[in-house]
Amino acid sequence: MYGTGDAAVRAVNGVSVEFKRGRFTAVMGPSGSGKSTLMHCMAGLDTPSSGRVFVGDSELGRLDDAALTQLRRDRIGFVFQSFNLVPTLTAAENITLGLDLAGGEVDRVWFDQLVGQLRIADRLSHRPSELSGGQQQRIACARALIGRPELIFADEPTGNLDSNASAEVMEFLRRAVREHDQSIVMVTHDPRAAAYADRVVFLADGRLVAELQAPTADAVFEQMKLLDG
Amino acid sequence: MSRVTIRGLLSRKLRLALTALAIVLGVTFITGTLVLGDTLDRTFNNLVGTAYQHVSFVVRGRAELSGTSAAETSDRRPVPASLAAAIRRVPGVAYVYGAVGGYAQFMDRDGNAIGSGGTSTLGFSFDSNTQLSPYRLVQGRAPTGPDQVVMDKATATKHHFAVGDRVLINLPGGARYFRISGIVKYGSSDSLAGLTLAGFDLRTAQALFDLRGRYDSIDVLAAPSANTVRLQSAIARTLPSGVQVVSGQTAAGQLSTEVDNELSFISTALLIFGAVALFVGAFTIVNTFSITVEQRTRELALLRLVGASRGQVFRSVLSEAALTGVAASLIGLGLGVLAALGLKALLKAFGIALPSAPLVFEARTPIVAIAVGVGVTMLSALIPAQRAVRIAPVAALSSRGEHHAATVRRRRLIAGVALAALAVLGLAFGVSEPSAGLAGLGAFVALLATITLVPAIAGPLAGGLGRPAARVLGAPGRLGRENASRNPGRTAQTSAALMIGIALVSTIAVIGASLSTSTKDQIDSAVTADYLVTGNGGFSTSVVPAVSHLPGVTTATTVYQGQFEFRGSLFTLVAATPTRLGQTVQLQIEKGSGAAAMAAGDLLVDSMTAQTDNLHVGSLVPVKFARTGSTTMRIGGIYATNPLLGSYLTGASYFLAHFENPLPIGVLLRTAPGTPDLNPALNNRILVPYANVSSKTRAQFEHDQLDSINTLLNLIYVLLALAVLVALIGIVNTLMLSVFERTREIGLLRAVGMRRRQVRAMIRSESVIIALLGAVVGIVIGTGAGVALASSLRNSGITAISVPLPRLIAFLIVSAVLGLSAAAWPARRAANLDVLSAIAAE
Repeated sequence: MYGTGDAAVRAVNGVSVEFKRGRFTAVMGPSGSGKSTLMHCMAGLDTPSSGRVFVGDSELGRLDDAALTQLRRDRIGFVFQSFNLVPTLTAAENITLGLDLAGGEVDRVWFDQLVGQLRIADRLSHRPSELSGGQQQRIACARALIGRPELIFADEPTGNLDSNASAEVMEFLRRAVREHDQSIVMVTHDPRAAAYADRVVFLADGRLVAELQAPTADAVFEQMKLLDG
Repeated sequence: MSRVTIRGLLSRKLRLALTALAIVLGVTFITGTLVLGDTLDRTFNNLVGTAYQHVSFVVRGRAELSGTSAAETSDRRPVPASLAAAIRRVPGVAYVYGAVGGYAQFMDRDGNAIGSGGTSTLGFSFDSNTQLSPYRLVQGRAPTGPDQVVMDKATATKHHFAVGDRVLINLPGGARYFRISGIVKYGSSDSLAGLTLAGFDLRTAQALFDLRGRYDSIDVLAAPSANTVRLQSAIARTLPSGVQVVSGQTAAGQLSTEVDNELSFISTALLIFGAVALFVGAFTIVNTFSITVEQRTRELALLRLVGASRGQVFRSVLSEAALTGVAASLIGLGLGVLAALGLKALLKAFGIALPSAPLVFEARTPIVAIAVGVGVTMLSALIPAQRAVRIAPVAALSSRGEHHAATVRRRRLIAGVALAALAVLGLAFGVSEPSAGLAGLGAFVALLATITLVPAIAGPLAGGLGRPAARVLGAPGRLGRENASRNPGRTAQTSAALMIGIALVSTIAVIGASLSTSTKDQIDSAVTADYLVTGNGGFSTSVVPAVSHLPGVTTATTVYQGQFEFRGSLFTLVAATPTRLGQTVQLQIEKGSGAAAMAAGDLLVDSMTAQTDNLHVGSLVPVKFARTGSTTMRIGGIYATNPLLGSYLTGASYFLAHFENPLPIGVLLRTAPGTPDLNPALNNRILVPYANVSSKTRAQFEHDQLDSINTLLNLIYVLLALAVLVALIGIVNTLMLSVFERTREIGLLRAVGMRRRQVRAMIRSESVIIALLGAVVGIVIGTGAGVALASSLRNSGITAISVPLPRLIAFLIVSAVLGLSAAAWPARRAANLDVLSAIAAE
């Protein structure tokens, strides 16, 4: 329905990694393992010094800044660890920001569905400063999903949240993958968050060192201990 | 602590450079003005010194009228020529020279008058004896006989005249050809402060200036051995009443003082514009330092946490301001010398010619410039420094600094409302009194009140002004609008600078438009003549018969003007030939009679004077004339006030009997119906010999009057442009700081798909909204102040109030464009932010 083929990335160290459409992948690794760089390259925020990055059929290295901007706007969604929202805009305006920038129409049905699932319908006219961290992050999720992007990148989405708020956000992201065939790549430190993913890839020193399918928090935790040791 | 200050300064180079720029401009302007003023002062004092270098005494007519300036020969009666011989016989006198002077204007080879006429041309009797004379022959020989003249070297060089050439000279009696017998210098300079010099032999000069058998003054050279005190009293004993002898130093001193007074007016006016620019600059500084302190909250709190005292933090911020101020002042001082040349060129472009001379740099100039520059910077930094002191050490640990916004806002509101009430009071009294001083004070306080209150309304106002941007530009426009209203204090402060500039410009526009409308009304209601023959000052009496005998002319009214003493004070008396006066001048007589009273030699006063002095038809009032002394005049009529006519009128014959060789200043012509246009005949034939005299239809005359008002207005606009420029720098500065502050936010916007173009549009809309906020408030306040000031000036010639809407709208558009251009740099910087590092930025 949106985009054909798989979303693929060739990492800087020559190791090729592929993220399948409609799957929820977590990227883990110790600090400095290159997971953030990997994600920034995949999202068109950073350019690899060599090698190639594909999103669908598009090779990001061939795109200029305007085209990359368009790619981010139309085909990629973002959820960051913090500072996800524009402080001068209301929650509703933040959700539709990307569509407004593109001059596109907002799918009201989809909007209402998202807002309903995230339980933020009564918060739509509030400014970010009037919202809790969890609410802010749920609004960021809605913003990432509203344009039905081919791929969502989530960078430590639970990094600043308590466990309840974390669970709520992760539950929602998994549901988006299950029910709406959404592709999500998430960078995280948190084994419990990683356990929501279909697959976890582990990076160390810029290399792909391990992979887990249908992970549990304990399995992830064990693997992390191995890497740290 | 000082290391922290200096490190801080270096890390904030860019924004400090922008802040400094505001101060640099102000100091540059002030330095330029001081240098220019000193230069002019020195130039004129040197000239005066040269003129009186060897003169021991000056014998001249006593100034008869109180308040007459000491040096104006026109207000002194000439002395009889026979006095010179009597003085020469006084023991101890080595040499005497009787001098005369008057209007003599050269025409160039194409028949155009050289110099602007009036006081820029000087005709004089040339004394070839160099014992007293400041003039030095550098070529040819002294003029002899009625057809010879010497010319100053500057004019000769510029217009390619040489000894032996024929030159046409315009004189009080008409234009005549002379042969150049020699070229002269004034002391060691080629001209006298840019005046053109035409020297004739004594007898010729006396004839040309209608002073046969008389001198304007007699210069006396004392013998080297003479006792000057005794000699002065010996000379005094030979003088008839009404003639005085003063030392050359006294005469020179009086002339210098008078010149200085006139020059200081120019300097003062220019300094006011410099002060306005610095006032506006102060806002930029307050704003920059406030934002810096806000952004450094955590850093300053950390300093407090590790043990810095409040005093140290306070001094740290202030010393940062002091260093900025010193650097900016020094740069401004250097640029000020260039500014002096620029200002001179500017004044020249608007018709105020000043002599050329090497620039004078007095010791006071750098002292004043640095004191003002550093003072303004430090005073402006006081408020932010105070704010920095209030930062609690714990703020280092929390993510956001504490704000005391609420209490400040309430105190601000109270102060603002109090100021506004004061302003209304001042304006109301200013208008009702009427007193322009009170109204001006009220306008100033109104400005302060607005500055105080604008932060309270800046948010909603910016939101309202940004609505079109949001509609047209979509999301970027909406974001720009939100950004402009998110920090109302900052937006208000930034736009306040522009507001002041625009308010002043609007005030001037309203006063100017009112003055123009009033002038037009006054001409329309007072003048019924078809043609007005006028010159630059007085002109030859032979013009009158020449123009009044043209076929078609039914009435010719000759107008004179001179100073007289009325009830002990000096006023201008206007006189006109009363015959068929109604054909050319519309005197709206309220009491008594008009032309008949003038013919009878009565005095007519306008209704305003009659009211303030409690005068009635038939009242006898004491008056005094320079030539004939004290007498009384009967009030013959009272006419409706019309500034064009002046407040005192009488008949021409009475005037001629009481003034020394008065020259007409205008001839008003009325023609029979159906007469063809007389201007070609007048201007191309009859008036050709009279260089500065021309005929205008009433419409042309009106147009010229309005033109000169507009020229003055334009000069003021150009000078106020400096303040607007400083305000723009303030906008650039605030935007740069905001972009810096919102790095992460801009990164987020770029990450979710904002194009570079959209980033620029967002910053630009914020800038335009800030500019428009300043412009709208400024125009409203300025228009109000202008209307109040104009109506408080109703006794001084502004009889109608006019608000120039198209011009005010133009100011609004210009402000928007300026806002757009102020955004150029910040917008580019924001758009070029690297997305990744912007997101990662702390």
